[in-house]
Amino acid sequence: MRSITKLSLVVAAVVLTGTALQAQTNNASITATASVQTPINVVGAQQLSFGNAFPGVNKTIAATDLANAGRFDVTGQASTPVTLSFILPATLSSGGNTMPIVSYTGVHALLVTQAGGVAFSPAAGSTPTLSGTGAMFVWVGAQVQPATNQVAGVYTGSIVMTVVY
Amino acid sequence: MQNMKRESLVVLGVMLLGVPLLAQGRPLTVTGVRGVTFGAVLPGVPRVVLRTDPANSGQFDIKGPKGNVLLSFVLPLRMTGPVGALMPLTFGASDAGYSQTQAIGSQVGFDPKQSFTAVLPNNGRASVFVGATANPATNQRAGAYTATIILNVTVLP
Repeated sequence: MRSITKLSLVVAAVVLTGTALQAQTNNASITATASVQTPINVVGAQQLSFGNAFPGVNKTIAATDLANAGRFDVTGQASTPVTLSFILPATLSSGGNTMPIVSYTGVHALLVTQAGGVAFSPAAGSTPTLSGTGAMFVWVGAQVQPATNQVAGVYTGSIVMTVVY
Repeated sequence: MQNMKRESLVVLGVMLLGVPLLAQGRPLTVTGVRGVTFGAVLPGVPRVVLRTDPANSGQFDIKGPKGNVLLSFVLPLRMTGPVGALMPLTFGASDAGYSQTQAIGSQVGFDPKQSFTAVLPNNGRASVFVGATANPATNQRAGAYTATIILNVTVLP
């Protein structure tokens, strides 16, 4: 009998110890959600074209010149503000020869016809809002200043526009 | 002798029943109340949700025995979107908060990447809030993204 009692106490002690070591644990989960909007896409749609330029005669292409102004087409999230910034070359090059390009002008509009367009300075950048369909068009004009002894040739340079939300 | 045996068994029975009840007190429950909501996110523009944001932060409610509990999160590194697209998700060193009063305005911040020991008050109720930052790439695929955040709670002895 004595050993039965002892056994009971040992069992009880084991139960006590075992139970005390069993920690209560529980968990739950929640969900993180996000709706990513349309990425921005920019296309260089038309080159800024000065055509023939003569030594000593400055030539200007206005940003409103739909045929010759440079044009970028932008698509992205509808009705969302964006920031435009530019890298503008100071010269055009032809081999080792250069020709100054200055006085950049810009227009941005929601329609490719430039209706309702807004003038801006590409050097300063701009913060327009994309259209209700997520579109925008940007035109760039400038002036080239060939020297009187400008070497004949085809002069080129790159204008880079960056668009971010 | 027979009595002694019976007595021992009764004592044992009481212990078997009583000890678990003593150890457990109130049952521990954890409930996911609200998810972390980033809403509309623009490619290339990180979106931060603060743990103090009453509309968009995540919330868990805890009920259990008063005393110490250990909180630990299972945190996703990315959210999954359309066609398996992934968007990085980060948690800052103070993006989780513990509130003994269950008030979002009264939290003790802690690092959700580390275990945190909290104290359940006398009423055994508390809340955990969580914020995060979504980091969409500039070319992030458009669409809905989700991830699961798990909170584990353990009652400490």
